[in-house]
Amino acid sequence: MAINADRARRLSNSGLLYLVLLIVSALSILPFVWVVLSSLKPYSELYSKQLAFWPHHWTLDNYTKMIEKMVGFGCYYRNSILVSVGTVVLTLFAGSLAAYALARFRFRGDQAILLVFLGTIMVPGEVGLIGQYELLSAYHLLNTLTGLTLSYTAFNLALTIFIMRGVFAAVPQEMLDAARVDGCSWWESFWQIMVPMGASGLAASATLVFLNAWNEFIFALTMNNWSDEARTLPVGIQLLQGQWQHWDYGVLFASVMLSFLPVIIMFLFLQKTFMRGLTAGAIKG
Amino acid sequence: MAAAPPIPGRRKWGLDNPYVFLLPAVLIFGAFTVYPILRSLYLSFYDYEFLHPERMHWAGLGNYREIFHDERVTQWPGIVLPKGSLSVWQIVFYPFLVFWLTINSPGGAFWNSIRFTLMYVPATIILPLFLAVLIERAGRLSTFFRTLNFIPVVVSVAVVSIIWMWIYHPEYGVANTLLRMIPGMSEGFIWLSDPKLAMPAIAVMCVWHGLGFNMLLYLVGLQRIPTELTEAATVDGASGWQAFRGITLPLLKPTILLIGLLATIGALKVFGQMFIMTNGGPGDSTLSMVLYLYNIAFRYGKFRFGYASALAWTLAVFIFFVSLVAFRLSKERE
Repeated sequence: MAINADRARRLSNSGLLYLVLLIVSALSILPFVWVVLSSLKPYSELYSKQLAFWPHHWTLDNYTKMIEKMVGFGCYYRNSILVSVGTVVLTLFAGSLAAYALARFRFRGDQAILLVFLGTIMVPGEVGLIGQYELLSAYHLLNTLTGLTLSYTAFNLALTIFIMRGVFAAVPQEMLDAARVDGCSWWESFWQIMVPMGASGLAASATLVFLNAWNEFIFALTMNNWSDEARTLPVGIQLLQGQWQHWDYGVLFASVMLSFLPVIIMFLFLQKTFMRGLTAGAIKG
Repeated sequence: MAAAPPIPGRRKWGLDNPYVFLLPAVLIFGAFTVYPILRSLYLSFYDYEFLHPERMHWAGLGNYREIFHDERVTQWPGIVLPKGSLSVWQIVFYPFLVFWLTINSPGGAFWNSIRFTLMYVPATIILPLFLAVLIERAGRLSTFFRTLNFIPVVVSVAVVSIIWMWIYHPEYGVANTLLRMIPGMSEGFIWLSDPKLAMPAIAVMCVWHGLGFNMLLYLVGLQRIPTELTEAATVDGASGWQAFRGITLPLLKPTILLIGLLATIGALKVFGQMFIMTNGGPGDSTLSMVLYLYNIAFRYGKFRFGYASALAWTLAVFIFFVSLVAFRLSKERE
């Protein structure tokens, strides 16, 4: 009897546990589900004071209207992809090479260089906003994808170096020695040993850098906000919200849906990598 | 770093030299991070409008002095006490009431950033902890719940802010539609247009947005605690709550401090949410430090880069000291 009562209590406890978890998880994803469903509702259902979660009539009208009328959206999308991918490639290349040098070699000034890289992690990026605006303006890099990519690369370098230095330092010295004996230059052993050995660390850094670049707001707003040719998605979406909120929410729902869906899908496929990258990046405020 | 030997022999400038490996990173980082930071520091001592470089002149501490006299930065409501007669509950929770009334009173940009931080940080330390503890106990389903709750983290501040603007929409928003279901609530609130509600509304959104990330940090911290410890305590007759208070919580302290520090630094720099959702309004009730310095630099037409740089550096120094104090306090307690 006592055992039964205990089991019953435990069952109801775990029932309560799952109930609470379901409610919290629902709160986490419902806003996104709601946007997806709303983007598939016709105009009349969107402007109703009744809370209708599920669409009565399913329609793709909002998407066709978006493609026809929201001229800038395609540009923003392209720009975001180009800047984010460019940032990831450039950051990983420059960052992991530097991490390799700082993790595996002793040379004059190595500690000082490391200190500068890691020390700036403590400085809020916003402090550089004004200086960077001036710099980009002086070299005609404002409102260019190149300018924003360079800015984002600099912004993510310290963190990438920090993560990759740890990864590269853990590679056994014997492997490098063996390669050296076989006549590998340090440059070659970087590509042939370090990159394959650090692959999962590189992947984690890549997701972190990609997410930072894809979602960044204040620098994109400051540097690339004169024309659709240079705007990225966060800035563009914010602009579209201002232009369309009094006309048609459906089109906005569609555009917002398209701007978060790829990242969420990417996350669902690469969960482990994302979580590793983001927790490794937690030291950066 | 185990055995990292110097490169034997002489070093040539070529693809076998560590300085060459460092070159791309140092160039990009130097030009786009280090230089702008130092340039901002330099500009903060000048009277400088971007559109009129010819008028640039040395101001000494003038910009910093201006900050102290700028009401839009320094205004502070003081400690706010409840007015009129109090109910029993209000007397029992009097300290909390005063705390809440104070942090919910708008002031200058500096105070607004601080009161946002005071609203955001405690909730963002406590709520994800409960979530993480529950998820740890969910057995096989824990990965599933972890994934669901992490989803908002990968979505940008801009998109999240826009979605929550719709949630807070006074007529069609979900928040008010739900409230109207409660008998006696026919109208709901004007969330983001109400000076008393705008800041808490934004803070709630931010706690929601960061929940999954902090949950993950807590889960990492919880995994480091050997299960034998809590099990032994339970065998010795400790209740679940006692085991949590006596063992889990103290061992989680480093994680709690990390989350608290990250949340504080992030909250003091808050910008996008206010820029998108309220533009600092109504009045100046959600004008944060970064939003104000952004406005000074880029929106009020004068491009006052000198003054804006001084504001940025003041905030950075403040954040640095807050982190330092937090760090010291955590060391002393041990």
